[in-house]
Amino acid sequence: MRRWSKARLWDELAQIWTVASKDVRVYYLTPPMIMFGLLMPFFLFFSFSIRRGMGPAAGLARLLALNTFFTASSAGPVIIPLERRARTYDRLLVAPMSLVSLLLGKTLVGAFFAVSVALVSLVGGLLLHVPIAHLGWVILGVMLVSGSFAAFGLIFGSFPSSSVGGIMMPSTLLRWPLLFISGIFIPLEEMSPWARALSYISPLTYAQDLMNHAVLDRGVIPLVVDVVVLLLSVGLFLIPAIKLHHRSKVLGY
Amino acid sequence: MHNAIEVEGLTKVYKSGRKGSPPVLAVDHVSFQVRKGEIFGFLGPNGAGKTTTHRMLTTLLEPTEGRIVIDGYDLAHDAYFAKRRMGLVPEESNIYVDLSGWENLIFTGRLYRVPKGERERRAAELLKAFGLWEKRHVKAEYYSKGMRRRLSIAMAIIHRPAILFLDEPTPGLDAQSTRMIRSLIRQMNAEGTTIFLTTHQIEEASQLCDRVAIIHHGQIAAIDAPERLKRDFQRVQSVEVALSPDGQRHGQALERLPGVNKAVKMGDKWRLYTDDPSALLPRVVHYAEEQGARIVSLNTLGPSLEDVFLAITGQEVGSVVPGNEDSPSRKRRGNR
Ligand SMILES: Nc1ncnc2c1ncn2[C@@H]1O[C@H](COP(=O)(O)OP(=O)(O)O)[C@@H](O)[C@H]1O
Ligand SMILES: [Mg+2]
Repeated sequence: MRRWSKARLWDELAQIWTVASKDVRVYYLTPPMIMFGLLMPFFLFFSFSIRRGMGPAAGLARLLALNTFFTASSAGPVIIPLERRARTYDRLLVAPMSLVSLLLGKTLVGAFFAVSVALVSLVGGLLLHVPIAHLGWVILGVMLVSGSFAAFGLIFGSFPSSSVGGIMMPSTLLRWPLLFISGIFIPLEEMSPWARALSYISPLTYAQDLMNHAVLDRGVIPLVVDVVVLLLSVGLFLIPAIKLHHRSKVLGY
Repeated sequence: MHNAIEVEGLTKVYKSGRKGSPPVLAVDHVSFQVRKGEIFGFLGPNGAGKTTTHRMLTTLLEPTEGRIVIDGYDLAHDAYFAKRRMGLVPEESNIYVDLSGWENLIFTGRLYRVPKGERERRAAELLKAFGLWEKRHVKAEYYSKGMRRRLSIAMAIIHRPAILFLDEPTPGLDAQSTRMIRSLIRQMNAEGTTIFLTTHQIEEASQLCDRVAIIHHGQIAAIDAPERLKRDFQRVQSVEVALSPDGQRHGQALERLPGVNKAVKMGDKWRLYTDDPSALLPRVVHYAEEQGARIVSLNTLGPSLEDVFLAITGQEVGSVVPGNEDSPSRKRRGNR
């Protein structure tokens, strides 16, 4: 039997879009998304990361990376448990599409929210005449970073649970260390060698470096490496998400 | 021609959620076939394993053991094709409350890749058929329970599935919604859709189904046409009476009344099993008058599923007290 065909591939793409556009429509201005997706990153930025002597361009690069990280990775752990509780998630699970398509649809949702929040920062930056080295790279970079972190968020959203609180906690617990070991608060070039080695674990490091390339034209890691790592990370993050979905199916959520 | 549904040795063990609680054997090596074009009833009391089975058949739950073939496609490796052939109505109406009735239907149509023109035609047709047309642009949040259920059924059939799975579609609904849903099931079946219906209502199963499987504690006790199961249903109807003073001593005399198969003590009451409760009622009243006893309460009870199950498996009827008080087959007659 032919399992895959061109028509099927086309169907799956359309379904990714169907899933994503519905979620964007339903969740874009809901309290949990505003709280975790919009307020938290700005709060973090203004309370921790503005340093004296930091130029406006460096600030913008940092804000974009931080925004995107928190907004994109919040969508999954907010939306999936809500849908599991309302049992509407079952509708997506029984629909004739692969689990990967469903997860890519959900990734797209997180990415969409992150890109729109980043757009606010970016427009603000442009209005304040913050110098930006490569605007095109900023936009592409924000999209790529958003996709990667949205997929990252899905890992938490996939835990067999239907409580947003029960998922937000561990997801925050894991996101904070990634934040601190990354090159976001301390620039890579100022880190001790071992701290720097550690920072390469965090996807945020590559996001920050990519933003530095784009805004400041000054990165530590080669741009290609940033891009490749972030692209690969989408696939890498989907693997545990798929495994956890299977677990839910066994446990009966 | 292959069957619509084939199930072989289907088993589900839920691992304990919390430490210390034992695993639950919810479905225990169940096998059955549903023919194409049939309305197949899955009848059992609460906790029998109906929803668990429904969720395994519809790919939502991974079986611990066993094989499921839907319309020729084995769920273990061809779930995608099976999913395209099925529609499902879960126990709880899972509609998107933030979307209107119309948007809910269109979204589902898109998920099933129904072409645009067709899905809009079909959405309009279904909204009208289900009495939701006037409220089509109202958010589903403001729909009543019955409207939600009707919408969730409409969403299940927008892509004209070959097999429709319904998990207890009618309990707790108003009479109008119940009637609408039952007539829709008949109509879809007449148009060729195979129906798999779980229910805990004996009447619903006998009215709608071509064949009924009776499930209890995860096992199937019998599969047969409802007319043939009727004998078992009838044997376990009963009249329940409480007499005062000194109600306990009447047991043997009550059991000797004509038409009583068996008398079982239930608290302060006697339950008299009979094939014909309405004929027995006046005899009980007459007996009480003769004895100068006061009737504290007198009810007729439809067949309880627990009893049906016991009767079929040849166990002692009345040895298990029916657990579900909301059983709709339980009718109150005089209550003094
Ligand atoms: N997710 C679950 N985890 C553990 N036990 C469950 C779960 N779902 C159902 N059960 C148990 O499995 C048995 C069958 O439940 P269910 O299939 O819902 O019955 P029904 O639908 O016939 O009322 C019950 O004992 C129930 O408590
Ligand atoms: Mg159930």
